[in-house]
Amino acid sequence: MKRWLAALAAAMLCGCTAVAPYQRGYLARDDMAFDPSPGMSRALEKVYSAKEAASGGASVGGGGCGCN
Amino acid sequence: MRGLLAAVLLLACHGALAVEAGGAAPALALPRLDDPAASLALASFRGKVVYVDFWASWCVPCRLSMPALEGFYRERRDQGFVVVGVNKDVSAEDARRFLGKVAVSFPLVADPGDAAARGFDVKAMPSGYLVDRKGIVRKVHRGFTGETAGELRGEIDALMKEPS
Repeated sequence: MKRWLAALAAAMLCGCTAVAPYQRGYLARDDMAFDPSPGMSRALEKVYSAKEAASGGASVGGGGCGCN
Repeated sequence: MRGLLAAVLLLACHGALAVEAGGAAPALALPRLDDPAASLALASFRGKVVYVDFWASWCVPCRLSMPALEGFYRERRDQGFVVVGVNKDVSAEDARRFLGKVAVSFPLVADPGDAAARGFDVKAMPSGYLVDRKGIVRKVHRGFTGETAGELRGEIDALMKEPS
């Protein structure tokens, strides 16, 4: 059992990797940001609030029924 | 248990491999940024004071360091000082776009397989290694501010006065 756990831990460790400071070219791209376009997000939020006549909760995109 | 100890020791040793002041600069030959078919060997600058600078277009402090290094290079190149810029961009096009805004005249090389970055064990961007005329790293600068530029100027001048 212990051996299996050790093997599992070793396999999971393989999934971890450190990104070196010089390898951050992709991470530094604009489209990798949490909010790549803050201005557009703000505008969409404003339109959403106006349409729904309520503000807040803009991060929830409906229940997946495709009805809104 | 032994395996675990070996792994821990290996990780501990990793830090000890870093190029620090007093160590020899790794001997590397890298493709030129403007002509990848041609290579540039660091050893070819033996006898000169060399500043090996790791930079990238996405590295914000590089917008400060590159013009400063260009200034140092232009002022001192005739006295035996050279800057070698090692580009760490994912695409050469990004580097070219950056150089369109911040033009430099010192030699630029690419590091496609990360051999140079690993060889110097670069821990921050930008990182600069000031190498004396004998090929020994004398000073390491990680990051770049206006203060770094002032320090570097003095360090370069001090090394230029040393005999080869």
